[in-house]
Amino acid sequence: MTKKSLDHVLKEYIDGIKSIYPKADYLFSNDTLFIVVPKEKLRDVTEFIHNKMDCYLRTCLGSDERPLLGHFALYHIFGDDRNGLNIVVKTYLDPKKPVAPTIMDIVPAADWCEMEARDLLGIEFEGRKQYRLVLPVGWPDNLHPLRKDVPYNIRPRPSAVGERITPPKTATATIPVGPYHPALHEPEYFELYVEGETVVDVKYRGFHVHRGIEKLGESRMNYQQVNFLAERICGICGFVHSTCYAQAVEKAAKIDVPERAKFIRSIVLEIERIHSHLLWIGVAAHLLGYDTGFMHAWRIREHIMVLAEFLTGSRKTYGINLVGGVRRDINEDKKKQAIEVLDKVEKDYMEYLKALLAVPEVKKRATETGILPKEDARKLSVVGPTARGSGLDRDVRRDVPYAAYNYVDFNVPVYDSGDNLARLLVRADEVIESIKIIRQLLDQLPKGPIMAEDFEIPENRAAVSLAEAPRGEDIHYIITGDGRPYRWKVRAPTYQNIPALKVMLKGAPLADAPLTIASIDPCFSCTDRIYVINETSARKIVRIGIGLCPG
Amino acid sequence: MSEDKPATSRSTILKALEIALKTGRVTRKYPFAEPLITDEFRGRIEIDEEKCIGCGACVLACPPNALELIEENGQRMIKYFIGRCIYCWRCIDVCPVNAIRGTRDFELATDNIDDLVDIVVHDMVKCSSCGSAFMTIRQKIYVIKKAPLTENYIDKDPKCRREKTLNALLKRRGGVMKYE
Repeated sequence: MTKKSLDHVLKEYIDGIKSIYPKADYLFSNDTLFIVVPKEKLRDVTEFIHNKMDCYLRTCLGSDERPLLGHFALYHIFGDDRNGLNIVVKTYLDPKKPVAPTIMDIVPAADWCEMEARDLLGIEFEGRKQYRLVLPVGWPDNLHPLRKDVPYNIRPRPSAVGERITPPKTATATIPVGPYHPALHEPEYFELYVEGETVVDVKYRGFHVHRGIEKLGESRMNYQQVNFLAERICGICGFVHSTCYAQAVEKAAKIDVPERAKFIRSIVLEIERIHSHLLWIGVAAHLLGYDTGFMHAWRIREHIMVLAEFLTGSRKTYGINLVGGVRRDINEDKKKQAIEVLDKVEKDYMEYLKALLAVPEVKKRATETGILPKEDARKLSVVGPTARGSGLDRDVRRDVPYAAYNYVDFNVPVYDSGDNLARLLVRADEVIESIKIIRQLLDQLPKGPIMAEDFEIPENRAAVSLAEAPRGEDIHYIITGDGRPYRWKVRAPTYQNIPALKVMLKGAPLADAPLTIASIDPCFSCTDRIYVINETSARKIVRIGIGLCPG
Repeated sequence: MSEDKPATSRSTILKALEIALKTGRVTRKYPFAEPLITDEFRGRIEIDEEKCIGCGACVLACPPNALELIEENGQRMIKYFIGRCIYCWRCIDVCPVNAIRGTRDFELATDNIDDLVDIVVHDMVKCSSCGSAFMTIRQKIYVIKKAPLTENYIDKDPKCRREKTLNALLKRRGGVMKYE
């Protein structure tokens, strides 16, 4: 994109916002436009950015800025993928009684993040139904953990509130799936209401493993330590989180990261994508009862795991990211071995994929099940293969390039049918693209240092960082502080994708539900911040007994 | 099932069989055979008690607090608890005297928690004015070796040192106030 067109786009945004609120403050830094508007104008501005300028909602977050500026702040982060822009709309809220207008009716995707801000910071949202999302039922009502006056290690006494199964009074049967997913072995809980064989409604409850890592990063660790904590957000796409975090700090502090470090990051990110997609393809085959396919997918994946260990020192949670660069270099020997492994994996994988897709049962069960229409996908701002399987052409590697992705040439597979097969094919194609990307990166690997030297991280700078995880775009928002982030917000891709499951499951046969749930490749450890969700109008809520979340 | 489908299924089974036969066996008889780890694998760390100076740089760098610094009775202890370790080897990166070595050990399961703890104990230097212990003997030797000038004031702890400097400054300017 040329400079002129970027200026032009920025002018369009600024003019549009000025026409709503003439006194709006704005600042452009990196690829992000920061705008401050009063809360009365928030809905109009959202309407303009989301509907008129056709931007996605990336996420929203609250922040307790009373020690700094004497108020609460609410940030809405929008993304303009066509122009590679982030737009951050900041609103000041009253320090005593923070109340904000909801934007959920304009942007349905804002549902969860608004409730998260309410739970963690006590920001009330006007004009919508409010419920407890992130914190456990037994948590005191007026204790908001992310407020700066709440210590990170506080452990309120768990109240005796438990949850019981109360059978629904409707005639429909209830099928509980969880609290551990039978195939993905992760804590989440779906309740499927069925009439005969058809799912008529679905309720999701998760956030059983909310670990309060944002608070930990903001109050106990230092900048370099948070990398390792960020990596542990997810056991599968951890490197994406640590890269995204490191990038956010680097952007905020304007640190010049050496090119070689950027290339190494991209290589490892793509290795992670291959292993994640192979894992998923295996699990999908397993869910369809095709265990031969499962075994072979994981056999091929094992080569990638060993390669990852050889390049980084660990099969998973590679631990090579730091703010400013990476810790492990890729020398000629490693490069040679990596290419050998990739050749073998590509050959095996192509053969495997052909065999898998030729199995008539696999194709038949994945076709036209779990359909997510394009309009719903757009409204819910879904990300990653879930979006690309529904015809939304978005991939931040291409749209908002980071690390070394602007040096490589690759395709973004998009399928229009929106069913499970489309999502399977998107992932299947992405493995091939990833192998292609790694080859190009290894080929062009520049010489030089892998770590930036002597840098300082100034206080009170903000940055949005994006990275395309195997499941979709991952967002980290940083406000820098004294020796550690002042505010660190993580939005994992599954957070955006789970609400879409409701659309996919409704009206579908029960037998397809396990595959459909798995088809978004949910990662609950990443997502978990919630307790009760999606209470649907007519149905009585059915609760199942599970333990209370520890503080 | 329709008539033509079993034939297709059969052909896919044959295809899978062909792949399986060609690949052969890929699993290993671990733990009776060598584990599948490369030379780059990061495992448990080992602290060389001869080299360690007890400066605590590793403790500051350690993300999960697997390394702890404990001071009691004029002694400083660097305590390594494997149960918390994430094997990132950041401690190795930051150690000024290369006292920490990474190993490839990962078979660390035990029924005795003491097996998972390593402690290096250091004797400390006492401040010549107030008598509080503030650094290890080896740390003092290391600092003097690195910067010989420090020998003149290193026997005082940082607080006493600051007082001494400020009082000297005040005296030179003719002041009589004592800094406290």
